[in-house]
Amino acid sequence: MQDKQFMKEMLTDSAHAYKAGRMDRRMFLALCGASGVAMSSVMAGDAQAAADHVVMWNWGGQSEECHGSAIGDAFTAETGKGLKFDTSGPLEGKIKEMVDSGNVTADVADADLFNAVSLGPTGHLEPIDYSVVSKDKTLPGYALEHGVSVILYGYAFVYDTEVYGDNPPQNWADFFDTEKFPGMRSLYKWANGSLEAALLADGVSGDALYPLDMDRALAKLKSIKDDSLYWGSGSEAHSMVVNGEVSMGMVWQNRGRNIENDTDGRYKLVNMQAIAMPGAYIVPKGNPAGAAVMEFIATAQEVPAQLALLDCLGMTPSNPEAFGQIPEDQQDYAITSAKNIDKIVYNDPDWWGKNGGDAVNAFLEAIS
Amino acid sequence: MNALTKHMHPGWLIIAPLLALVTLLYLGPILNILWLSVTDPEPGLGNYAKLGESDALLRIVWTTVRICIITTLFSVTLGYSIAYAMVHCHQRQKSYMLTLLLVSFWISILVRTFSWLMLLGRKGLVNVTLEDIGLIAEPIAFMRNELGVLIGMIHYMIPYAVLPLLVSMQSLDTRVMDASRNLGASGSQTFWRIYLPLTTPGLVASTLLVFILSLGFYVTPAVLGGGKVLMVAEYISVQLLVTLKWGTAAMLAALMLFGVLAMLWVMSRFMKLSTVFGGAAR
Amino acid sequence: MSDSNQVGSLQVRGVSKYFGEFRAVNDINLDIRNGEFLTLLGPSGSGKTTLLMMIAGFLGITKGDIALDGSSITDVPAEKRNFGMVFQGYALFPHMSVRDNIGYALSVRKRPVSEIKNRVDEMLDLVQLNDFADRKPGQLSGGQQQRVALARALCFAPPVLLLDEPLGALDKKLRVEVQEQLKDIHRRVGTTFIYVTHDQEEALSMSDRIVIMRDGAIEQVGTPKELYERPINEFTAGFLGKSNFIRANGKIFALRPEKIDLQLGTGHPDARSSGVVRSVTYFGSMHRVIVDTGGGDEIEVDIDVWRNSESLSAGDSVDLLWNDAAAVELQTG
Repeated sequence: MQDKQFMKEMLTDSAHAYKAGRMDRRMFLALCGASGVAMSSVMAGDAQAAADHVVMWNWGGQSEECHGSAIGDAFTAETGKGLKFDTSGPLEGKIKEMVDSGNVTADVADADLFNAVSLGPTGHLEPIDYSVVSKDKTLPGYALEHGVSVILYGYAFVYDTEVYGDNPPQNWADFFDTEKFPGMRSLYKWANGSLEAALLADGVSGDALYPLDMDRALAKLKSIKDDSLYWGSGSEAHSMVVNGEVSMGMVWQNRGRNIENDTDGRYKLVNMQAIAMPGAYIVPKGNPAGAAVMEFIATAQEVPAQLALLDCLGMTPSNPEAFGQIPEDQQDYAITSAKNIDKIVYNDPDWWGKNGGDAVNAFLEAIS
Repeated sequence: MNALTKHMHPGWLIIAPLLALVTLLYLGPILNILWLSVTDPEPGLGNYAKLGESDALLRIVWTTVRICIITTLFSVTLGYSIAYAMVHCHQRQKSYMLTLLLVSFWISILVRTFSWLMLLGRKGLVNVTLEDIGLIAEPIAFMRNELGVLIGMIHYMIPYAVLPLLVSMQSLDTRVMDASRNLGASGSQTFWRIYLPLTTPGLVASTLLVFILSLGFYVTPAVLGGGKVLMVAEYISVQLLVTLKWGTAAMLAALMLFGVLAMLWVMSRFMKLSTVFGGAAR
Repeated sequence: MSDSNQVGSLQVRGVSKYFGEFRAVNDINLDIRNGEFLTLLGPSGSGKTTLLMMIAGFLGITKGDIALDGSSITDVPAEKRNFGMVFQGYALFPHMSVRDNIGYALSVRKRPVSEIKNRVDEMLDLVQLNDFADRKPGQLSGGQQQRVALARALCFAPPVLLLDEPLGALDKKLRVEVQEQLKDIHRRVGTTFIYVTHDQEEALSMSDRIVIMRDGAIEQVGTPKELYERPINEFTAGFLGKSNFIRANGKIFALRPEKIDLQLGTGHPDARSSGVVRSVTYFGSMHRVIVDTGGGDEIEVDIDVWRNSESLSAGDSVDLLWNDAAAVELQTG
């Protein structure tokens, strides 16, 4: 993480040097090549990003490619503006730091909706312009003043069919039952989803989750602590399962399909009580491209973009218009498909935006 | 100007800009952190008071210190043996060993961390082999716990432990050891009474280096600890990036800073620190 | 004090040391007597230090045997030989006080504290360092360090003391002073001293006997006087003091410069040779005169200053005179 950050800074500096003519192109490309970063993504991190393109701040990897093809191309066709990426990961602290420093280099962050609740009132985000973006093209309650949900991802789990065979775990109650279902589990390390799953397992109903009963949730989590591992990133969650370290693993639902494929079907995804998380677009205060970014967000809300993201990343559409058009082979994996939509539970971004910090700390303290 | 040069060597003027820059770049952020620790979220010592109020914070600090001490102990002990072997083997083997040592610096910490998972994980090479030959029925939990963190950290730290020791051992006058033997001392007497005391500055330098580097460890505990071994560095990062409790983060950073300074101060009571950092021994 | 000191004799029998093809020491035979001050003298690379290290036990022996008082010590490790040694550069323990340095040998032998203290006090007296007992070696002058090294090596009353160029690090004036002290200490403790040096003056002034070495072999062994007066070959004659080499009738003679008389003018009836003065150099106590005896041969003559050779200058013709006894016939080939 540190290394990557250093590399990034070095490359961004070089990008400036290259633009100012202090470094020749070959040298710059060599540096980019050495660090395995596409030149465009570095150039995008440049503060001088002109209004002829929009800079998306996300976690890179496949997500960069998919956003380009699913949204970027359509956006360019409509507006003539390009899409560039900053792949350093828009964590709340980084957004705050970027805005506070006055050197805002990103237009839209691929973040969580609760970030809009915590960073909006402190003046770190631009309000969403609902004359351009549509409140109807997302789920009710997921179009907030400073952010709008564009996709959904969910906290579901996979289990090892060879371990549990004919009597597989059905829901979070089974996931937390180490007597009936012995074996190691994995959960998300930053509290989100893990707390909800614990309460659901303890018998709280899906529509009565919030405000979260922290003591109850943590007690439930501690009850399986010795049988639990915790992951901090999607790839770590994936590898814990694929490497056979756990018999049951909480995963982001969009990874379910890959896990089933990578294990030749040995591990199977369970979407019962999957906790739907509104992934959201939020706009750092004083973003370089200005209002143009709203058109980009609107493009992302359109059905073709939504279905393309599902196809490319496994992210579930949040625009109800798209629910009915989810293709047959994605029915099992998309949590808003006709097959799953009645099973899922919805995350409350308002509670997380206001209480998330304390919840994460309490969670970390409980598991460590 | 003349009045100034009377009291100050003119050479200072030449390095003054650099000195100012270094002061600005190093001292600035440190002061900023100290400032943050007493002002965020509200002015006062509230952040520091949390240490007394919260068992969890103390537990994280204790976990960190405990892991760092154990890591330092093993890294320096193993490093001492390795450095000793390097100094006392043939020139060719020595350059071979030095190359291996330096190569290990080039391997990213992530790669090393995940290599340990492949080797010692539940379905890792070692466990699978031991199970296949019937030595164990259940996999041994090397990884995703504190043991895993220690293995990963010690492995990462050994090269750092070796280098100061190597320098220290190489600069020893070997005739002193001959003198000891000549005076009738056995090998172990020579080691404990002469060799070890004379390499103590290297030992202390190595210990300080490893301990201080270990305090800042982040990736290895996060991955190999399976999320259950929470150390200060990772906690600080979470407070900065996720929970936005910058005051708590700054307080913990300041605590580590003061801890290290206190450690240096205590050591300076027992020995001249300049000898540790390469100064003359008198 | 000599009551507590043992004295030993050493027998070196056909000792060789090869480093690969290189013969550092080749078939050395040598008897070292009880209590004598024996110097191994030779240029660098002559094998003297190698021989000393084999005696000390730090180097293995390729061939031959070394015995102490008749019993072989070839297979005894260094720490069991009980030989004192003063190292080149002293090799004092920098982290220990002078007292602890000196008492080290007794301390590793686990002797009672009171005995160690008494013995160290004795040694401090011997080397006159009583006031420095609690200092560290780094706080002492070179000469003082040298004395600590000596005291440390003598503290456990070794039968043999080995000294490897112990004065090499001292400046010339101090060296002469320390030579006197060393000689005095040798007289007082009576231990056998084996002393390695490349400095011929040091060897001449201190030794009971000198072993002149070259290329790993012994050239000549004898008292300083024997070696100076009766060198057996050109190497010995040239290495120990200055010498002219006179060739006559297929024989070769060594002739010391101070044993030649010089007369201004030619035609002296007893003249052995004559020539032209090439140079006169003033050395304080004497003049060194180089005389060209024709055919490219030169003879060096040292004349006492009191004879006032001021009138002598380059270009003067001179006669050279000497006694038959002064010219020593050397082995040839």
